[in-house]
Amino acid sequence: MMATLLNEDQRDCLQEIANVAMGQSADRLARLLDVFVVLSIPNVSILNPNDIAMTLQSLQDSKGGDTVLTGVCQGFIGGGIAGEALLIFNGTDYRDLAKLLQYEDNGEVRSELLMDTTNVLGGACLHSLAQQLDTQFSLGPPTLLGEHYDITSLLQKREVSWNNALVVEINYTIEDHKVNCDLLLVISENCINGLLEKLNYLLD
Amino acid sequence: MPTDDDLSHFLKDVHWLMDILQNIDVGLVVLDHDYRICLWNQFMQNHSGKAPEHVLNEGLFRVFPELSEDWFRRKAEPAFVLQSATFTTWEQRPYLFHFPHYRPITGTARFMYQNTTIIPLLNTRSEVSHICLIVYDVTDTAMNKLAQIEANDRLEGLSRVDHLTQLYNRGHWEHCLQQEFKRYDRYKIPCTLVLFDIDHFKSVNDTYGHTAGDDVIRMVSDCLREQLRDTDVAGRYGGEEFGVILTNTDAAGGLEFAERLRKAVQAQAVDTNHHAIKVTISLGVGELNPLIGDSQQWLELADKALYYCKEHGRNQSHAL
Repeated sequence: MMATLLNEDQRDCLQEIANVAMGQSADRLARLLDVFVVLSIPNVSILNPNDIAMTLQSLQDSKGGDTVLTGVCQGFIGGGIAGEALLIFNGTDYRDLAKLLQYEDNGEVRSELLMDTTNVLGGACLHSLAQQLDTQFSLGPPTLLGEHYDITSLLQKREVSWNNALVVEINYTIEDHKVNCDLLLVISENCINGLLEKLNYLLD
Repeated sequence: MPTDDDLSHFLKDVHWLMDILQNIDVGLVVLDHDYRICLWNQFMQNHSGKAPEHVLNEGLFRVFPELSEDWFRRKAEPAFVLQSATFTTWEQRPYLFHFPHYRPITGTARFMYQNTTIIPLLNTRSEVSHICLIVYDVTDTAMNKLAQIEANDRLEGLSRVDHLTQLYNRGHWEHCLQQEFKRYDRYKIPCTLVLFDIDHFKSVNDTYGHTAGDDVIRMVSDCLREQLRDTDVAGRYGGEEFGVILTNTDAAGGLEFAERLRKAVQAQAVDTNHHAIKVTISLGVGELNPLIGDSQQWLELADKALYYCKEHGRNQSHAL
């Protein structure tokens, strides 16, 4: 199935780029919060809308607690590549995160925390990706997911215009704190040509 | 050396760009690292009523005291330090600048909802010397979203409530029952279910008609409502059948509740044009215990207790 969108070399190359992007964005998060960020290996895969919905659900279920998926999504476009970045928080203790970001926990702080983390992580990761691919992305305004924006039902019910998408999943865990989030970069098959071109260029 | 021609082209381009930036329906503000205002486009002038000569080189927080300095710095610092764009949405804060809403006919909001983007501006040495704050008017989007949330909440309410009695309908009540069961499973706090129905309800309907029957059901649900505590969950389970989940209550407490309700209903009468209809109820009480495996079995327990009352002369309560 992988072969339909990416060949082996292109996949490896993208994996490498994702590794670097993860490192750079984790570094910025670490600097912002003054903590250690545990690095893991980004996961590159080809998924259909239903797979993505299931992945999101599993992220949400894995640590329990929340009944709705909490996170932020943000569109990006540039250099013939377009997609959406989803930052999903799971198993995160918001009080812990609030402490790290030096917010007073007054209950309404959650969306601020989500937005701040997105600004740092999403921005840095996409910036690094774009830089390595020798292009620049325009970022759209982030949208808060949650109670009034159920993304899994969006993926499952609505007819999306694509069958497969390239998904880069990056996990960030903060050492000694209950803060854990996943950044999913989703690039659908009809917006991937620019990426393939750039990967081929890097491979030559 | 650039020729005069190049220069005039360049100037023309700059002139165009300046014109566009002035007239674009988006607010543009350039700030230096001390948050002094360095650029203030027409959108900002018109909506704030502040001319450039009054704000340029002034501190942003001095000109707009309503803007929380602490909050805004937190959003803007990453643009300076990490050189990446940052965003704020109206969902976090409805606005940065309090601009009164200006459309007298189609405007329903009292102020302009705003999304903003903060982008870093590099100097010739590739350092971020300034940031640009871009302010979008998202009032229409925000109003639509808020209206949608309100409509959804209302629909959710409607889909949960039984029209006749204004108690929860069967679907939602059963959902609550499952939740309570799970909670008991986890915390083992006593919880008791009361299932009851109106004795000989069919004959009320047959004798006095369905309108009178509805009045009776409404009367019983009113009695029920009066006996409820905030934490109890009452629903209309079937035609003349009701269910009540009594949280933090054991069987003895449940029986007490049942008897109180039974006497309250017995004391009431529904006046129709010709008759005062009096009805009684029978109540089955079932306390949760560790042997009960799911909410269905719990229901069956209370139902069995109810059946016992029916067998033994009605107008009574029984606990199992």
